[in-house]
Amino acid sequence: MSQPDRSKLPIRQQPFGGVANRTLEGSQPDWAELGHVEPPDGAPNVLLVLIDDAGFGNAGTFGGPIDTPNYTRIAQEGVRYNRFHVTALCSPTRAALLTGRNSHAVGFGSVGEFSTGFAGYTAFVPDDCVPFPRILRDNGYSTAAFGKWHLTPDGQQGPSGPFDRWPVGWGFEYFYGFLGGGASQWDPCLAENQKIIGTPPEFYDEENPYYLPDAMADKTIEWLHAIRGQDAKKPFFAYFATGCSHAPHHVSEEWAAKYKSKFDQGWDRLREETFARQKALGVIPADAELTPRDDAFPAWDDVPEKLKAYYARQMEVYAGFSENADHNVGRVIDAIDELGELENTLVLWIWGDNGASMEGTITGSFNELTMQNGIPLSDEMQLQLAERYGGIEAWGNQMMDPHYSAAWAWAGNTPFQWGKQVGSHLGGTRNPLVVHWPERITDTGALRTHFTHAIDVGPTILDIAGIPMPTHIDGIEQQPMHGVTFADSLTDANAPERHTQQYFETIGNRSMYKDGWWLSMKTARIPWVLTPDALKPYAPGVWDPDSDPTELYYLPDDFTQARDLAAEHPEKVKELKELFWQEAEKYNVLPLMATLAAFFGMVPPLPETATYEFRGDVENVLSGMIPRIYNHSYTITAELVIPAGGAEGVIVAEADHLGGFSLFVDGGKLTHTYSMMGVFVFRQQAEEPLPEGEVTVRMQFAADAPKPATGGEVTLYVNDRPVGKGRMDHTVPIRFSGYAGMDIGRDNGGVVDLGYASRKPFAFTGTIKKVTFEVNPHASDAQEHELHAAAQHGHTAHALSA
Amino acid sequence: MKLHDTIDVLIGGYLSKDAAEEDYNAVLECGAHLQGAVIVSKDLEGNLSVEQTDHMVKEGAEGLGAVGFAVGLFAPPLLAATAVGAAIGAGAGALLHHEVSDKLGEQAGETIPIGGAGLIVAYSHPEAEKVEPAVTRAVKKAIGEAEGNHVKALKGAIADAQQKLAAGNA
Repeated sequence: MSQPDRSKLPIRQQPFGGVANRTLEGSQPDWAELGHVEPPDGAPNVLLVLIDDAGFGNAGTFGGPIDTPNYTRIAQEGVRYNRFHVTALCSPTRAALLTGRNSHAVGFGSVGEFSTGFAGYTAFVPDDCVPFPRILRDNGYSTAAFGKWHLTPDGQQGPSGPFDRWPVGWGFEYFYGFLGGGASQWDPCLAENQKIIGTPPEFYDEENPYYLPDAMADKTIEWLHAIRGQDAKKPFFAYFATGCSHAPHHVSEEWAAKYKSKFDQGWDRLREETFARQKALGVIPADAELTPRDDAFPAWDDVPEKLKAYYARQMEVYAGFSENADHNVGRVIDAIDELGELENTLVLWIWGDNGASMEGTITGSFNELTMQNGIPLSDEMQLQLAERYGGIEAWGNQMMDPHYSAAWAWAGNTPFQWGKQVGSHLGGTRNPLVVHWPERITDTGALRTHFTHAIDVGPTILDIAGIPMPTHIDGIEQQPMHGVTFADSLTDANAPERHTQQYFETIGNRSMYKDGWWLSMKTARIPWVLTPDALKPYAPGVWDPDSDPTELYYLPDDFTQARDLAAEHPEKVKELKELFWQEAEKYNVLPLMATLAAFFGMVPPLPETATYEFRGDVENVLSGMIPRIYNHSYTITAELVIPAGGAEGVIVAEADHLGGFSLFVDGGKLTHTYSMMGVFVFRQQAEEPLPEGEVTVRMQFAADAPKPATGGEVTLYVNDRPVGKGRMDHTVPIRFSGYAGMDIGRDNGGVVDLGYASRKPFAFTGTIKKVTFEVNPHASDAQEHELHAAAQHGHTAHALSA
Repeated sequence: MKLHDTIDVLIGGYLSKDAAEEDYNAVLECGAHLQGAVIVSKDLEGNLSVEQTDHMVKEGAEGLGAVGFAVGLFAPPLLAATAVGAAIGAGAGALLHHEVSDKLGEQAGETIPIGGAGLIVAYSHPEAEKVEPAVTRAVKKAIGEAEGNHVKALKGAIADAQQKLAAGNA
């Protein structure tokens, strides 16, 4: 059978090859018309696994303290790559991974929530850079994605799409997961295919509660069984991107308890222990040096004794969470094995997309969104807030959205410096890769030292599948992929190293790699600090990137970037600096700092919408798409019908007790609860019950001043008559939640007011005809623009932590 | 009891009842003779609770009650130093330093935030070296001092502590 022309996609159906007369007399069917495109013979199944926010030194398979028996099993039956690279930020790595192209070149110099008007930072993949899952699909693969997506712009995550920026638009026939950068593992607001399906009903089963990592594996296995039930041969491509180990760090106590007291020695000692194991395992060279602690991280010995248990618990939960991810990936692999297909399934398992995340700042947090809302809390305050929500033993359960200390992340990036967001150093750019393919890999358990990068994964899969890079897709000429195949290195340790040059850039932190030399150009800003003083040096007209300090490393002799050779090789520094600028121009990296453009006054036009209407059956409006009530006066008006005997329940609620608001009726009285990130909780209640019949209720917030986090006065009205009031000294300046949705007529998932938690989702028992938000402009255009700029700054800050 | 005392009043603010109780117990066990100690907290459903030492009942109830010590004057401005939104950006520097207004004089039931707690300890000034080191977890703390007869000294010390809290120099 002749192979179809795969250079242009979709592959054209062959012309009818039968005979069609006026009647069946003499007519001959062409049964090939009923077929579908098939991939080249021998094209294997592919399972691509991506763990989130993890470092080179986390998994035990690479010497880390976390037990990862499945990762180790796969490594022992496959090969380990110890020089695999990523982009130092979530969305950019995912975009690079799935397009085979440099992230800036496909609009993802930054994260999916944050689009700005520069080509490298739009968060929109150009039509001439179609992702490779689409190529696999159009060549006859079944394709599906599970878990974290983080490639759909913030304002397009609803039922009106557009869906070319959802997983289906990237070539996935099935999707089950979440669109944002992080999600609760207990009550995520999920998407399935092209619909936001919200919190799973199993969340309400207290005896057997929902847990996303388990459900991801379940759904993947179901999907595998289903496609095999239909077609015994069609190869599959499954992209399994865990929410783990991104915050919130959610895992049941049975997993966290495995690590009880395992981190009491602190992060400094942990790095030493990990480093020793890495050498013993041979995953780093014997002559590698452990890089020292930067002053940005405190010494463990300087942590007050009374707080050490608080800090240690953070890492215990992170470790348990991570081991659970290993367990669930193992379940998927076992399911493939049970199908008898593991031999010819190419498994690529990347442990981390940007190094471990330092976004928890030094203190860590009971609620990761406190940082993103710019609320400075000391570690003692964080501990007390953790106590408020159940104590450190509850760190990891549904009552908190925790993130650990940046110092634990640094330890997880052993033996390297820094971590997530730092594109200048290996802590943020180098993660473990394991490849498993029993049918072809014979020197099992071996190590590969080839310089490889996320952009090489797509070309490698296509190469192995025998599928050419198409010249055209949907009639649009395609840009070539920037990555190169490393397929031959799977079976040949001496295969040539093809990836010899690579730029890196994340939020101004940048580097240039070429032929073993690595030039690091890190800004002086500490990654988790976005204060005005920290940003001033990078303002337009102030910052001269070429004046940033440079460090030069020769990686073949210096695996960890421990020996700075810049002073000894100024000519190499100059050469790589110039090469970086060339690459930056070529791949749309410019202008540097575009990720932070909002901080320097480059903000999108003011939104024109100030009134938002929702009918009574709207649910699961994602947190980035709710009315922009932040920092403004606003009203929420609801038109209700109260039946005889009264009604109770939620009229409208956003997010949960760790940040959100709820307007509800309890005990017959109109009530408003507002959680300022779980730090402050304000509640106002009417002094009299609602009347029966058609009733209009209103919550009015009158802001004190046009400023972020403004306080203000709340007044509750029934049929335009004031019935209650109260004050909110602080409001949320940026965002209530990274993942939880807004609902009319109920409070899905974790609830805002814990007083009705036992009745969740506390659905309204009357009728809600309409809920209207009206966001009031401030007195002057100048104030409005100033606030708009501030909101954009905050939005950017949130996005960077997503 | 002497006619004229120098009374100290320590007010501590907390984000959790656990932390306040830890200090409360530490104060009770520090070996100092206390005029009284009160812990006020509000749970996540908004329910207020008040605990006080036996000392207060045995020795100071009448006097303390007379000054409204237990509840009425308690209002530590928790997180007064918090600059909400401080990380929001260079372009809006003037907007970034959020001032928290103090609302002294309101009833504790209204001023103790949901989920928060407060501790008030009254003691003779010579006991300060025992009491003050025992209070280690307050996120906001102020110590007032006043002389006079018992009730007058208590009133003065409370007012002094609250003034220090309000001034943000606690």
